[in-house]
Amino acid sequence: MPAYEFPGGIYPPERKERSNQAPLRTAPLPSEVTLPLSQHTGKAALPCVNVGDAVKTGTLVARRDGMVSANVHASISGTVIEITDRAIIIQGDGEDRWTTLPPLDWRTAERDALLERLDDSGLIGLGGAGFPTYIKAQVNEHHAIDTLVVNAAECEPYITADDLTLRHYASDVLEGAQLLARLCGAAHIIVGIEDNKPEAIQALQALLTVSADSEPLASMTLKIIGTRYPSGGERQLIKKLLNREVPSGGLPADIGVLCHNPGTLLAALHAVRDGQPLVARVVTLTGDAITQPGNYWVRVGTSVDTLLEHVGVARERLHQVVVGGPMMGTPLTSLEASVTKTTNCLIAATKEELPPAPAEAPCIRCGACESVCPAQLLPQQLHWYARAENDAALEAHHLFDCIECGACSYVCPSAIPLVQDYRSSKQRIRHKRIETAKAEHAKHRFEFRQARLAREEAEKKARRQARLAQQQSASSDATGTQTAPVADLRSLRIAQTAAKAAVRKAEKVLARAAAQDPQQRHDDLETQLATAQENLKAAEARLTEARAASEQKEAP
Amino acid sequence: MSMMHAPQLGKAPSTAHVMRWVIAATLPGLAVMTLYFGLGVLSNVLIAALWAVAAEALILRLRHRPVWPTLNDSSALLTGVLLGASLPPASPWWLMGVGVIAAVVVAKQLYGGLGHNPFNPAMVGYALLLVSFPTHMTLWALPQPLWPESLWPQILGTVPVSALDALSGATPLDAFKHKGDAVLASEFWASSPLPEGTLSAWRNIALAWLAGGVVLIAKRLISWHIPVAMLGSMMLFSALFYASDTSHFASPLFHLLTGATLFGAFFIATDPVSAATSRQGKLLYGAGIGVLVILIRNLGGYPDAIAFAVLLMNLCVPLLDMVSVPRPVGQATARPDERKSAP
Repeated sequence: MPAYEFPGGIYPPERKERSNQAPLRTAPLPSEVTLPLSQHTGKAALPCVNVGDAVKTGTLVARRDGMVSANVHASISGTVIEITDRAIIIQGDGEDRWTTLPPLDWRTAERDALLERLDDSGLIGLGGAGFPTYIKAQVNEHHAIDTLVVNAAECEPYITADDLTLRHYASDVLEGAQLLARLCGAAHIIVGIEDNKPEAIQALQALLTVSADSEPLASMTLKIIGTRYPSGGERQLIKKLLNREVPSGGLPADIGVLCHNPGTLLAALHAVRDGQPLVARVVTLTGDAITQPGNYWVRVGTSVDTLLEHVGVARERLHQVVVGGPMMGTPLTSLEASVTKTTNCLIAATKEELPPAPAEAPCIRCGACESVCPAQLLPQQLHWYARAENDAALEAHHLFDCIECGACSYVCPSAIPLVQDYRSSKQRIRHKRIETAKAEHAKHRFEFRQARLAREEAEKKARRQARLAQQQSASSDATGTQTAPVADLRSLRIAQTAAKAAVRKAEKVLARAAAQDPQQRHDDLETQLATAQENLKAAEARLTEARAASEQKEAP
Repeated sequence: MSMMHAPQLGKAPSTAHVMRWVIAATLPGLAVMTLYFGLGVLSNVLIAALWAVAAEALILRLRHRPVWPTLNDSSALLTGVLLGASLPPASPWWLMGVGVIAAVVVAKQLYGGLGHNPFNPAMVGYALLLVSFPTHMTLWALPQPLWPESLWPQILGTVPVSALDALSGATPLDAFKHKGDAVLASEFWASSPLPEGTLSAWRNIALAWLAGGVVLIAKRLISWHIPVAMLGSMMLFSALFYASDTSHFASPLFHLLTGATLFGAFFIATDPVSAATSRQGKLLYGAGIGVLVILIRNLGGYPDAIAFAVLLMNLCVPLLDMVSVPRPVGQATARPDERKSAP
């Protein structure tokens, strides 16, 4: 058992028994799917089919756009009937004819082929954030990774998707972990799981004792942790399993760790071993308004309404449908929405089980929020600053270290929607940063133009001077009259050296930024470099001009 | 379909719930006090509570604030109960009125209402009464029957001031404080300075307050940090005094079990609004109160000192909140990042 602890945390009612009793089932094939183009972090995918095209299950229908993006595949066979800005709609033929990629053996295949396969299969993290997996698998090109953490904590109440996935596919999940450990070069795999999932733990333990002799590529450990929310938070879990702290603003990769959710690992194995792109996932369907709660294999793009209908929903008692857990999830505004790759849970809740928050009362500074904050922030101080829109103080008090777990709101006796305040404050500050960056960029472009004009002017003057010198030497009357003022050579030389230094500095800054973040565009830094180069050219032109003039003077 | 923000699940006990539980937790203390000092204790609490609710309703009306939702949070009621419990038994009705108005109207509502008062309202009321009406405030009766003869005249305030002295007896803290420098502690106790049963009465009352406090901590309605820090620092600091001169300073146990020590530690110092907020801040805040209480009791002019110690530490709360910032996970230092706050 781990001796490490993360600060804070709460013990909300688990309510997992509602969905973890029944075995994993398969939801019926939907007659129509709506595939959102943006199911992941990053840019939306670009459709690569046309209305009327016939597709099979697994056909690529939208290609990723740029680095941080993911492919989208048809999740049923049928015909594309509509393409909008946001989604592709496919009418099913009910036959579920598949197209798959050739199977690969992850032990022997080339690393690049495996990465390409993850990319082609549209794989993203299935835990909720939805970060494209192929990028995460390449992270060891910049960071040394020693440990792969399988995040099976699943700490949010209600959700049991990972639990059931592990019970049914424990060996596949571990094989998927070996696959990703190979890709990122991790020598150790640690499975972190909360102690409220005894059956999944048993399944894992049975496998780990067997595979001890068969010598897997990476060593595997199972760590059972106490049930406490939010132990499934990446940073919290890493602290608990490895006693390492992810630096503020940094990633687990910065301390040599990668985290993957069991569902993602299973999907990765399916993509590599079976050539199946990501078209279905395990979803927990639960809540008091559902008659057959449980976990289901659901095709991506299935409408929530259809799905709820299948598991039996008491509409008159239905108060709200929450996507994700009751701590961090978001309520659906419409049942027309569809299941995406990141939908791990749908809670069809009655008013009694997830009642509306009582009216907000004044903060009594009780400090309950602070004692449960897993990031060790001061939620109450942040609350005052957020309401006062004091962005400087918010940033100084590390607002951006907030993981939005909702523990503070959960314990607040005054029912203050703290997390909501922080989310909107973060949004406001991000927006402000973008505006500042835009203004900065405009300023740099203006400076560049000024520098270019100065350079052109200096060059023109130099040419004129040269012409004049030529004429004078041709006439050679040597009257000694001074035609041009002799500039101070020394100060011009200093200016030229300074301009050279500025160019070198700009080059260095750009190179460093590019090395740190190769995926990012650095327009601004490039403009700055170009401006410095213009300035250098102008200084050189002025210097040549001055030299020509002074030679002219000394010549006779 | 409704739209709610995350988290959707569960809500903590409301402020009103917390306040009512604190009121409920005063019951053992009040019961034992009544047992020893008579029904005057209950009359105090009732009259102060009525005054508090009436004063809060009036000032809310004057401030054009919703009256019922605020009264419903029971915070004014709690202030009244706590102030009533602090005053000598069967204090006159107007004394409570003055104290409660100072507490609820001035110390709380004029600063912006619940959550905005820098000082502990009940202790503001108490301190005001202590400096303004010293005669009435030292009218601690001797342990007496449940229904004292002079109950009504005392409540109604019809006892002439000249007769007040006859009704009062010294509290143990008071008696020890005024024993005189020439008298050694051993001589003082040998002369049996207090009527029989006084010490045990105060001790039993203190233990009853402790019981209520333990309930509050067990139910997680208050955190342990302030009471433990306060009592711990009181014990340590009084032990230092005691060790330096056993014949003139009282023992730690005497400080713990007499006066308002335990009542103050669990019911007064733990007022969240006027106390420090972070866990580390609460420890410093409680320890500060403990040190001040012993300093004032041993060297100052007032025998009990809880009210002044709490008010003085209220003054230090902004500073404590500044120095007791925890280190956010993943950050190098605890202090707010000054570079970010620069304009």
